[in-house]
Amino acid sequence: MGILSGKHLLVSGVLTKSSIAFHVAGLAQEQGADVTLTAYPRVSLVERLARLLPRPAAVIPLDVTDPESLAGLAERVGRHTGTLDGVLHSIAYAPPAALGGNFPGTGWPDVAATLHASTYSLHGLVTAVLPLLRSPGGSVVGLDFDASVAWPEYDWMGVAKSGLESCARYLAFYLGAQGIRVNLVAAGPLRTMAASNISRDGDGAGDFAALWHRRAPLGWDETNADPVARACVALFSDWFPATTGEIVHVDGGAHAVG
Amino acid sequence: MIQEVSGVPAAEVTSEKSIVDDLDVDSLSMVEIGIALEDRLGVQIAEDRLREISTINDLVDHIDHSLNGR
Repeated sequence: MGILSGKHLLVSGVLTKSSIAFHVAGLAQEQGADVTLTAYPRVSLVERLARLLPRPAAVIPLDVTDPESLAGLAERVGRHTGTLDGVLHSIAYAPPAALGGNFPGTGWPDVAATLHASTYSLHGLVTAVLPLLRSPGGSVVGLDFDASVAWPEYDWMGVAKSGLESCARYLAFYLGAQGIRVNLVAAGPLRTMAASNISRDGDGAGDFAALWHRRAPLGWDETNADPVARACVALFSDWFPATTGEIVHVDGGAHAVG
Repeated sequence: MIQEVSGVPAAEVTSEKSIVDDLDVDSLSMVEIGIALEDRLGVQIAEDRLREISTINDLVDHIDHSLNGR
């Protein structure tokens, strides 16, 4: 019996074996959850990754920037489960022009693409599956990167994460009456494909990790996504019943020190 | 396997060709090729290493080293 026994989760953002979402999906299964994955842009890639998880997981195509794709999501997920106990939002995208030190020169189309995929997608994903989310008791967890300060080269993704944090608070506000919790996990830097695309030299995680090694009181291992996955699983469980609109920092404590 | 993942005809996959530039295989297809290799042959390619693999020759060398290093 794990802490997610009997729960069904929808997990977005599995793209490689290093994806935080891949670790969350695996750990959630080990804790007893049934998991359905969303896939974008390569369904075949996510299907291969699903086969590497401890237990089978259904795979559903989903483009969170496409209203038609979102409109059909509840029906597609509903084929696999009657209700959903939790949803993981692990989705972010910025065109190269919106990252890597080009902040003053980024035009609106690139900014709009960043905000659509990385901020508004939380609203889109949650409202799309709302008919299936257990009420009361449903839990939404989103992945964040501390947006309280500006970071080198993170640029418009930092703005998008600020918006994500606010969006999560508003969703918590509006869904609280239904007993649905909405929380974010602000992770320290991890070596994921997304991180490698932040900086022009392709070592965004390495640049941030050096900072974390100096600052994090608990230390930080940018190759280990397990602490982040554990926090997500805990938030999906029944052990945070009165917590919503929260940002849980899983960063070795770096956010707390100057 | 490259044909299966990327749709590039097997006849075009020759040793000297650049996977990205000549065969137009994108980074996500490379990730999928890496997972397919692990699935079929048990050969693991770290994602950092995957970015360093440029040609079909590089990929074959990596598989060769992995299989012979067992």
